[in-house]
Amino acid sequence: MKLKIGVCVALAVLLQTTLRHYWQGLVYVDLPLVVVTYFALRRDVVLALVVGCVTGLATDAFSGGLLGAHGFSKTLISYLIAALVTRVMLDNPLARIPVIAGAAALDATLYVLLHQIFRQPVLRPFVETVTYKVIATTVVGTFLFYLLDIFFSDRARTRRQFAFRRRAARRSLARR
Amino acid sequence: MAIRTQREIRQRAPLWLTGLLVLNVALMAFSAHQGGEKTGPLVAQAWAQALFAPVQSALTGAGGTGVGFFQHLANLNHAATENEQLKRQLADAQTELHNARAVADENERLKRLLAFKDEGAYKSLPARVIARDPSEWWNTVLVNVGSASGVELNMPVVTPDGIVGRVIGVSPWTAQVLLLTDERAAAGGVVGQLGQSQALGAVRGLGRNGLLEMRYVSGLEPVKLGDYVLTTGQDGIYPPGLNVGEVVEFKEGSATQPHDIKVKPSARLNALEEVAVLLYHPPPRTAPTETLPNMRKQ
Repeated sequence: MKLKIGVCVALAVLLQTTLRHYWQGLVYVDLPLVVVTYFALRRDVVLALVVGCVTGLATDAFSGGLLGAHGFSKTLISYLIAALVTRVMLDNPLARIPVIAGAAALDATLYVLLHQIFRQPVLRPFVETVTYKVIATTVVGTFLFYLLDIFFSDRARTRRQFAFRRRAARRSLARR
Repeated sequence: MAIRTQREIRQRAPLWLTGLLVLNVALMAFSAHQGGEKTGPLVAQAWAQALFAPVQSALTGAGGTGVGFFQHLANLNHAATENEQLKRQLADAQTELHNARAVADENERLKRLLAFKDEGAYKSLPARVIARDPSEWWNTVLVNVGSASGVELNMPVVTPDGIVGRVIGVSPWTAQVLLLTDERAAAGGVVGQLGQSQALGAVRGLGRNGLLEMRYVSGLEPVKLGDYVLTTGQDGIYPPGLNVGEVVEFKEGSATQPHDIKVKPSARLNALEEVAVLLYHPPPRTAPTETLPNMRKQ
């Protein structure tokens, strides 16, 4: 399970560094943030924190900004979502949409604020960039959540366990 | 293995949060301190890039092949009336044609790079772009050559069409390049030919629309649309005479107002594949005199 999560995070970061090459507009889709938000919604706070920190630092490693800025924002966002999900029922797919949108807006705001604090100002138009990021990340993230559910949801895990048991039972029947 | 209850996990969560946030703040402070020094090597980022570089190279190559493959499938889907045999033959022919064109395009780009390398007055190192900046706030790329090949900080990066940017981070096998369209990038430029034109200024990235802004050009100097901008060599990064771009927007200034000039970069910065790192060291500047004549006390 942890290996699958690691592969998922690595794939998200590597794809994020590649998509922009094919179309500039794809830079507004924050795949690492979608992965962080997904694991934060799974009610495992510590896992969410670690995934958020590692994903953020991996993104920072390839970025031209401060090392640790994405790590800070994604760690904080994963904690806030994990704390929220213990109080509010967010298993409904429709309920996840505002969560992704809020995470994207908060991530961008925190990132810019941190750079201002450390006197490395970001000069891009803030409102325009955040708007594009929120829209693109929410749309793509909603579909990506369905894909991640195939691999990581509890129902998928149960299905895999029963499939294994069925195969083992068939083999033992065949031997008899 | 100890089994922890949900309550214990929730109680530990604030500790984890605090620890991770402190770690990230420390990294940011370290990174900001390095960035303050113009020759700071961005050590941590450079090594992280070096570790991911082989996987990144493979992914970039596979991505290009995948996009072409899916484009062919889309084209085939539109040809609904053709029979199965012709469709297969057409698919094979198109795949072969696409591969041949891709090889031909790459061949042409490499030939131009080689010609540029041979004709240029400076030694250059061919490189391939393996990753782009994942953040929407910055404009950088990662290339597959590093200090092991002789790349150093602040070395200019060019294509046969024009300048691309400069090196801001180096690991043994990779280098991070700040593109000219990033707001933090700048170059000394002249509209027209150096030595013949007095329209000198500073070319800076705008961060949007892929355009550059040329500032501080005297409002008395003649500039018109379509003029080419070249590097002056006075910025201590780019050698003189390299192509920067073409004037695409121009608002005339006056004796007291500089011109408002927008420049379109000559290099295709949104579609970089192969670049060259110029192994160029700017000439050392003479140290300023320690005392000025008027400073002597009577």
